[in-house]
Amino acid sequence: MARQRYHDGLALRQALPGRFLPFLVGAMSFLAALALAGGIAAHSLSQRWTHGAGTVTTMQVPAPDDPASRPATPAPSSGPPPTRIAVVLDLLATTPGIVSAHRLTDAELRALLAPWIEQTGEQTLPLPAVIEVRALPGHNPAPDLLAQLQARVPGVVMEHDSVWSDRLAALAGSLQGCALLAVLIVMTVAVCVVMAATRAGLQTRRQAIALIHSLGATDGYISGRFASRVTLLALGGGLCGSVLALPMLLVMSQLAAPFSALGDPAATAPMDWHDPLSRIDALPHALLWVLLALPPAAGLTGWITTQMTVRAWLRRLP
Amino acid sequence: MFRLHDVSYAYGDSRTGQAALSHVSLDVPQGGFRWLLGPSGAGKSSLLSILSLEARASAGMVEILGVPVMQARRGALARLRRRIGSVHQDFRLLADLNVFDNVALPLRLQHRAEAEISHEVHAIMKWVGLENRLDALPPQLSGGEQQRVAIARAVIYRPALLVADEPTNALDERQAARLLMMFHRLAELGTTIVVATHNDAIVRKYPAPAIELARGHLVRDYT
Ligand SMILES: Nc1ncnc2c1ncn2[C@@H]1O[C@H](COP(=O)(O)OP(=O)(O)OP(=O)(O)O)[C@@H](O)[C@H]1O
Ligand SMILES: [Mg+2]
Repeated sequence: MARQRYHDGLALRQALPGRFLPFLVGAMSFLAALALAGGIAAHSLSQRWTHGAGTVTTMQVPAPDDPASRPATPAPSSGPPPTRIAVVLDLLATTPGIVSAHRLTDAELRALLAPWIEQTGEQTLPLPAVIEVRALPGHNPAPDLLAQLQARVPGVVMEHDSVWSDRLAALAGSLQGCALLAVLIVMTVAVCVVMAATRAGLQTRRQAIALIHSLGATDGYISGRFASRVTLLALGGGLCGSVLALPMLLVMSQLAAPFSALGDPAATAPMDWHDPLSRIDALPHALLWVLLALPPAAGLTGWITTQMTVRAWLRRLP
Repeated sequence: MFRLHDVSYAYGDSRTGQAALSHVSLDVPQGGFRWLLGPSGAGKSSLLSILSLEARASAGMVEILGVPVMQARRGALARLRRRIGSVHQDFRLLADLNVFDNVALPLRLQHRAEAEISHEVHAIMKWVGLENRLDALPPQLSGGEQQRVAIARAVIYRPALLVADEPTNALDERQAARLLMMFHRLAELGTTIVVATHNDAIVRKYPAPAIELARGHLVRDYT
């Protein structure tokens, strides 16, 4: 059967030589692996940082024990008006997404403010009440809450402490965007390379193709022959790219370990260069899947691109 | 069998191009041998390329072996091509395949068993007298030998329609006589054969119904 497969005159080993395409596809896969690794790392870092910093909001209520202003529709029972701090705590208790609202005690507050108070020497300074509000991750209750609060308790100040984690999340998000863009560009270039190689192959074998076309070879047969050759080459290239990317990623994960796994002694231990594979566990699982998926993805991209290129080219034949 | 109705053909742009065929109508039943005559440039090769589905008529109706070609899908055309044999003026052998593989090519594309292919190739190559040149590459053969390889490749799969463009021009008289005898045998067995030539001597020697073209027009139809 080998004789039959390789004697249909297409001579694909000449048309699509076995070095050029695997080398380029391998380089693309390598770049794609690096870009995806960057995206995955940015994602996991942003997960850690946003969760660790939490979403803590500090709220200052000046003159906490003064009576609050009346709501727009006065309550029917007209007892003594509630204090401003009571109104704020009430509102916080009924706001969804808030895990806890802790009013700092006088002692906590004075400890917090000690450096300033001691400097001024003033002991009777009227202190605002300070409430530490913890919200569920991803919740930022501030915007709605503040409007409601200011209607009832003018002068309330809210300070969202997640500015840093927000900035880190934005940074991680844009890194992920860059990684995605890089992967898209790499894929586009890979598709163009496969297309150019296939076109060149078709051009060098155009007489043989015209002949077997006139002998009744279907478009599907010819495109299938080209596509299986390209798939094989792309698969090989993708495999090389993944294998070569692995040590690179191990080194990078070693360098990034202090940032991503603070306090995890295994991750920050120096790399054992005699057994580099022992570090594979330290790579995120998603990354290992990416490395495994790259060769088949390269093969599939090659197959689809070649099928489309060859079929379009064959349309010129009657 | 094949039928042409009002067929025109022009190379390049069908409106501005010089017409190689104009308003040709033919109705040829299945089986039998026909000459295709006409001076150089008359349109013989153009007509044969339409019959062998290597060119598409610019206008008109073409029906080959019962298949309406102008409306047929690509897959149907590919299947139809496997029932049409064609010998070109320039042989069209693949220079990097040896004689055996060149002749075996149509059978391989039809996924025949290798043992059957070997048997058929040896038989046909014996018939054309080249059974001891199976390993040669086409450029190592003389013009007449290349022509016989091309003929062997065209008849090996027993096509229902065989078109041959000057198949005897590189052959000596004895070889040409052998070839025409083989064509007559195939025609008796039911193959429709059209052979283009401008060699009047050979036509007089082997009289048969003839189609004659001049400047792209059909001038005589003795079919
Ligand atoms: N590839 C081509 N491009 C443009 N015009 C062509 C082409 N091939 C043939 N022609 C023109 O079409 C006309 C018919 O050519 P064709 O080859 O069919 O003639 P022919 O009868 O086979 O001639 P010959 O006996 O010399 O082979 C001629 O005028 C020729 O110049
Ligand atoms: Mg001609």
